[in-house]
Amino acid sequence: MSLEQFKNRNVGTQNYTMLDLGERPKTGWDRFKQVARRSVKLELFTGLKVTFREMIKALFMGEMHTIKYPFEKLPISPRYRAIHEMKRLLESGHYRCIGCGLCEKICIADCIRMDTRYDENQRKEVSEYTINFGRCIFCGYCAEVCPELAIVHGGRYENASEQRASFALFEDMLTPLDQLNQQQEFPGFGAVSPDADKKIKKTPLAY
Amino acid sequence: MSETRRMPETVTLTIDGKTITTKWGTTILQAARENGIYIPTMCYLSKVEPIGSCRMCVVEVDGVDGMILSCQEKAVDGAVIRTNSEELFAERQKIMKLYDVNHPLECGVCDKSGECDLQNKTLEFRVDRQDFSARDQHRPVKDWGFISYDPSLCIMCEKCVRTCAEIIGDDALAIETGGYKSTIVNTRDLDECAQCGECMAVCPVGALVSTDFKYTSNAWELDYVPASCAHCSAGCQLYYNVKHSSIENPEPKIYRVTNDFEFSTLCGAGRFGYDFENREAKRDPETLAAATEAFRKAETIRFASVLSNEEALLLGRIAEKSGAKLVCDEARGFQKFLRAYREASGRSLPTADLEAVRRSRVILTLGTRLYDDAPMVKFAVATASRREKAQVIYCHPIEDPRLQKQVTQFVKYEAGSEEGVAALLAATLLERTQVPEELAKYLDGLDIGYLSAESNVSEEELERLKLTLWKRRRFTLIVGEDLYNHPRVENIARLLAVIERYSDFELLVIPPASNTLGIASICDLADEASGYTVGVNAPGDYVLSALGDGDCDLPAMNQQEGTLVNLEGRVVPTHPALPYAGWELADIARALEIPIREIIDLTPELPSEAGFKAVEFDDLPDYFDATGVEHRGYKLETTRSEPTIGAPEEPEELESYDGTVLYRCNPDRQFSPFTAKAHQLNERAELRGSAQFAAAAKLRDGDRIRFTQDGIRFERVFSIDTTLKGTVAINPVFDTGLSAFAISSYRFSPVKIEKVGEADE
Repeated sequence: MSLEQFKNRNVGTQNYTMLDLGERPKTGWDRFKQVARRSVKLELFTGLKVTFREMIKALFMGEMHTIKYPFEKLPISPRYRAIHEMKRLLESGHYRCIGCGLCEKICIADCIRMDTRYDENQRKEVSEYTINFGRCIFCGYCAEVCPELAIVHGGRYENASEQRASFALFEDMLTPLDQLNQQQEFPGFGAVSPDADKKIKKTPLAY
Repeated sequence: MSETRRMPETVTLTIDGKTITTKWGTTILQAARENGIYIPTMCYLSKVEPIGSCRMCVVEVDGVDGMILSCQEKAVDGAVIRTNSEELFAERQKIMKLYDVNHPLECGVCDKSGECDLQNKTLEFRVDRQDFSARDQHRPVKDWGFISYDPSLCIMCEKCVRTCAEIIGDDALAIETGGYKSTIVNTRDLDECAQCGECMAVCPVGALVSTDFKYTSNAWELDYVPASCAHCSAGCQLYYNVKHSSIENPEPKIYRVTNDFEFSTLCGAGRFGYDFENREAKRDPETLAAATEAFRKAETIRFASVLSNEEALLLGRIAEKSGAKLVCDEARGFQKFLRAYREASGRSLPTADLEAVRRSRVILTLGTRLYDDAPMVKFAVATASRREKAQVIYCHPIEDPRLQKQVTQFVKYEAGSEEGVAALLAATLLERTQVPEELAKYLDGLDIGYLSAESNVSEEELERLKLTLWKRRRFTLIVGEDLYNHPRVENIARLLAVIERYSDFELLVIPPASNTLGIASICDLADEASGYTVGVNAPGDYVLSALGDGDCDLPAMNQQEGTLVNLEGRVVPTHPALPYAGWELADIARALEIPIREIIDLTPELPSEAGFKAVEFDDLPDYFDATGVEHRGYKLETTRSEPTIGAPEEPEELESYDGTVLYRCNPDRQFSPFTAKAHQLNERAELRGSAQFAAAAKLRDGDRIRFTQDGIRFERVFSIDTTLKGTVAINPVFDTGLSAFAISSYRFSPVKIEKVGEADE
């Protein structure tokens, strides 16, 4: 198309397809007759048929579709990436994080920081761990890189608060000890693949 | 054949198709590295002799069956070498597989992860499975003070053992052989080991790590700030490893110190004494006004030698403006020594550097407690002793059992008799050499009998010394701090200059403190402070202190940039690792209307007559190249001229020291109040003496005592050190704050000790 065609504002001579809308009422009487005819023929209820059907289903057959958010919430996909969760070992209840720092390194928003130290049991202990949710872009790299499946994305997506909730500490994300029995093994982003067992190479132990 | 075949100077060989000409005697590996050809190694460490425990460096040589260890085999003319082939890769992969057997899969928490040789080579040779098995051993983690050792991570490359033996000279580590059960063991008490941390620096895996640093940071989180150590005059290369302090505190903090361990070495003070920064400083206009006012009315500016060359030059300019005189107590005696030496020898700087010490066959030390005064020189002596089987003659009033392994002859002389000893040495060392008539007459005229009786150095000892020198080459004379504040320092310098000039001895002069050599070269120092005194890291009426305890703050050496002159006469750059929020000398100079923008603008203006070059600070190189050649700053230009004075003077009658004599000396790892500030080097200063001293001074172990030395009132605990002998006790000054920088007296002094409390109180 060339520019000239756009500049042509002489609409009357262009190739428009005209719709056949029938005869338009000409007098007041004609207009009244059209309204009366359309009303008596109940065309309105043809349009409302679906609405009524769903209303009956919702009110009398228990198939209500409205979710009363925030009192009710829809279940979300396990692959959804919301606020992180820190998992615990089911056997001991100790947190899984070993303080390797890979999440801190891989974080492209640079929002993860951890302090580690040498603890009394000669192990590396995470003394503090934060994620700055003001910066986090929920890319999921941290969960993907975690060798221990310790940090995962949970389903808590409501981040609004009166103050800008910029920090979350380790304890906030950690599974509470009393709810350890309810801790879900994570099936979502960064989880081990279903055929992980088959991929393991065993170390020879025949000595 | 009548012609004797001479060894060629160079050899030409082909490595991977590249024709290489190199010096005769270099190994294939060195030749390859010189030319940027990569040969993988696990146990090779440039600064020690090849270890040959890993066999990773194998190469193929045309016409030779099997594989050749490139780290040990010398390059020969015409050799054709391949460093890479399928067989070599398979061989190296096998070696890596064996290294990886049962190596704990704890890279996730290991401190070495990210800078680990084993990790790198495992990935490089694609080892992703374990084909062999071995019964694992119980290997508990061991705590060796500053260092902790995890035997299960150890790959037995022997780098640490060799470094400790060859570079440090302590032999504190050994291998307990037992096949797969082999481990490294600590053969010494922690007190006896220098605790320099060099073993953990060279460790290619996470087996030897710093106890303090352990698990506090991953290697990749740390920024490496290149700097020079400012604790002593060696000015060693180091990197401050910096990261934010914690989650709450974004201020940078030094986590540890690393170095180019392939080529350079650090002592315990350099490696563990890094957090001496001045944190609390603020920019407060009133302080600046007060400091400026103090400088305006100053009659004396007194400063410590923990000061960069640029600051020293700037202080000189400030003094010029205000008419004040400059006093540096640490450098004054040294400057006298240098001046007398220059007049007598015609050389601007003595001949020897540390490499010369390492290559020496005979080393004579005079007037220095080497182990504590200059660890780097001690390390060089240890290397010479190990590699060249060097004879080490240690002349000092106090025997040092820690040097037992190196010292072949201990010559004990009376405190205060250094001049006599220098004269005796001159007479002994120059006995068979041609010297000018005047000097010959002087040497003949020396009353050897009297001198040896007074200094307590017997003629038999001198005979033995002569025998040691017989038919040997490469001599080094090392002199230290005891001489510079001796009342007869000028004559001692003349005697030493004569020895250096007419004998085969090279002379190494150990400056008494950090940048004393630089300050003595740049500033014209006055003798005594008088009138209103401004102290720069030194006591005075108005005190500027980097320790944070003065009227105005100054940046510590890890917070500022500048250059230092080390004992080799090398001008080395240092960079700030930590921020500093207070006023600097440059700010005060600006307030005094001296036109200066940054302190490093003065680097090219350092006096060329002292040998400095007009090089911008940012153009100073700071690295070691692949073959270990040091490119740090530049070496001071040395000039030679004819000596302006003739023979030395007759030694004066010796002053005798009776009663309780103390020797001012900081223990190793402590040099100044700055090292004392470091959290890892936290140690109690106490007066240490032998049992003999305790009996003479009527003291018992643990007694609380009081005495005054060099105008400082000490209240100390006395402890008996069983390794010491004789009647001289050792008194450290690192805990005395700024007054430690204002001491300029002779190191031995008789002191009246007052007992104020019993051991059990």
